[in-house]
Amino acid sequence: MLIKQLSVFIENKKGTLANLTGALVKNNLDIRAIAVFDTNEFGIVRLVVDNPDKALEVLKKEGFIAKLSRVIAIEPEDAPGSLNKIFNILSEHDINIDYIYSFVMRLHELPYIAFKVDKLEKAVEILTANGINVVNSEEIRGK
Amino acid sequence: MIWSKDETLSRDQFTKIQEKRLSETVHSAYHNVPHYKSKLQEAGLEPSDIRTLDDLAKLPFTVKDDLRANYPFGLFAVPQKDVVRYHASSGTTGKPTVVGYTKNDITTWTELIARMVTMAGVTAHDIAQVSFGYGLFTGAFGLHQGLEHVGAAVIPMSSGNTEKQIMIMKDFGTTALIGTPSYGLHMAEVAREMGIDPKKDLKVRLGLFGGEGSTEAMRRELNDAWGLFATENYGMSELIGPGVSGECQCLNGMHIFEDHFIPEIINPDTGKVLGPGESGELIITPITKEALPLLRYRTKDITSLHYEKCECGRTTVRMAKIHGRTDDMLILGGVNVFPSQIEEVLFNIEGIGPHYQIKVYKKGYLDRIEIDVELIDEDFLDSFTLLENLNQTIRGKLRTVLGIDAKVNLHEPRTLARSEGKAKRVIDLREGK
Ligand SMILES: [Zn+2]
Repeated sequence: MLIKQLSVFIENKKGTLANLTGALVKNNLDIRAIAVFDTNEFGIVRLVVDNPDKALEVLKKEGFIAKLSRVIAIEPEDAPGSLNKIFNILSEHDINIDYIYSFVMRLHELPYIAFKVDKLEKAVEILTANGINVVNSEEIRGK
Repeated sequence: MIWSKDETLSRDQFTKIQEKRLSETVHSAYHNVPHYKSKLQEAGLEPSDIRTLDDLAKLPFTVKDDLRANYPFGLFAVPQKDVVRYHASSGTTGKPTVVGYTKNDITTWTELIARMVTMAGVTAHDIAQVSFGYGLFTGAFGLHQGLEHVGAAVIPMSSGNTEKQIMIMKDFGTTALIGTPSYGLHMAEVAREMGIDPKKDLKVRLGLFGGEGSTEAMRRELNDAWGLFATENYGMSELIGPGVSGECQCLNGMHIFEDHFIPEIINPDTGKVLGPGESGELIITPITKEALPLLRYRTKDITSLHYEKCECGRTTVRMAKIHGRTDDMLILGGVNVFPSQIEEVLFNIEGIGPHYQIKVYKKGYLDRIEIDVELIDEDFLDSFTLLENLNQTIRGKLRTVLGIDAKVNLHEPRTLARSEGKAKRVIDLREGK
């Protein structure tokens, strides 16, 4: 299962992140995960929210450059080496990871791992076949 | 369509008219304006020494500071009772430069604009929205009079209040847009924000742009955004306002109305007159203006003159798109760069918007340049590498095309300043600037 993630361009200056999250909160959108990739001048914020389509609409209206894309979210086992095992599986199948971040859901003990790879469908198939719990969007929505 | 037979005269006929009118202008300036009398005397000249076009080069130049020094009416050649209109150019520092028109001057101006808008494709069937600011600035009134003269219906909208502009444009069925190119781009952006696609939902078929320089890339952008046919025109308030020259639909440069203006190109450093096709500063001598004659006015605009025949049938000389001004040329670490060249590079890069700002400052003894651009394409968000590559692409192109190393700052859309008139593109923070 793939989940929808928002990517938003921000300038690295005071208040831009607050503007971004403020716009979402104002529209009753719940942020489930946020990761910032930045340099001194600009950055890309990756967000997982409960209603990504609405969030995209809200952000565009506010003048942000934003894009929806799909990422894989998994729930790693609570065991040593579990992440390493996942990376090995992907690597064996020649799948490259573009970026990765983890996020915590309320009422849930372990963090989820979100990652973007070059062959999304194939990756989901392989991970599922190897018994790894791939999170679906309903779980993210909390419904 | 060609408005006037005076746009298709032979070279000999032009020369004859120009020599006669030049002589009249020199006489009038000499006898009616003390400034010119003393200038000519200093140069050891009598008005009768100026008979042919070759004699023109003997005359001293007139510069903008001469108008300032004689503020407000010192260079006028007619008594105030004969003046029927004043305009003034927006001086960024100090006093503005004031220009005046007699009744005949207004008639001339109206005629020249009629030729110019006809050349751009405007007919009596058009509804023309004038989005230049009405006031002391010559742009709006100049176009207004000439458009009415060809029978177009004029909407004197003025600049600003952009959402209302779009509404009127939609409701009145505007077919020709008149304004600065940067405001044209801004209006298209605002229209799209209002949910109006200028291409599909509006009827604008012609764009007559002037008041500031523009590039071919900007023309493409305007054509694409509006679905219109953009032409450029040229003028400045000292010379008459808009109406010195304009593009015909063959887009071979701007036809100069030679029965009213004599153009020359000089080397701006030496003052030496250059030949056809050579690039240098444009010098204009208006030869029919009564209220404010000017002898060899230095425009500071850099262009070249082309005398080959144009397919449109006009025989008037054409001036190339202005590719810079002698006073906005940036010297960066010894490299000469015009903001228009930077603009041309930026316009050809996918993913960034048409608005930009150039900042120049000193770090130690070195000139540093920073260019602010807006990211407009969300596809660059797929990976950080794409964004960094975009930044590197912009830097690389500026380096290879212009030889400058600029720091490029990507900004969120709609965060750079927009203008409703002339865009302020360069901020020079170096000392003495
Ligand atoms: Zn032509």
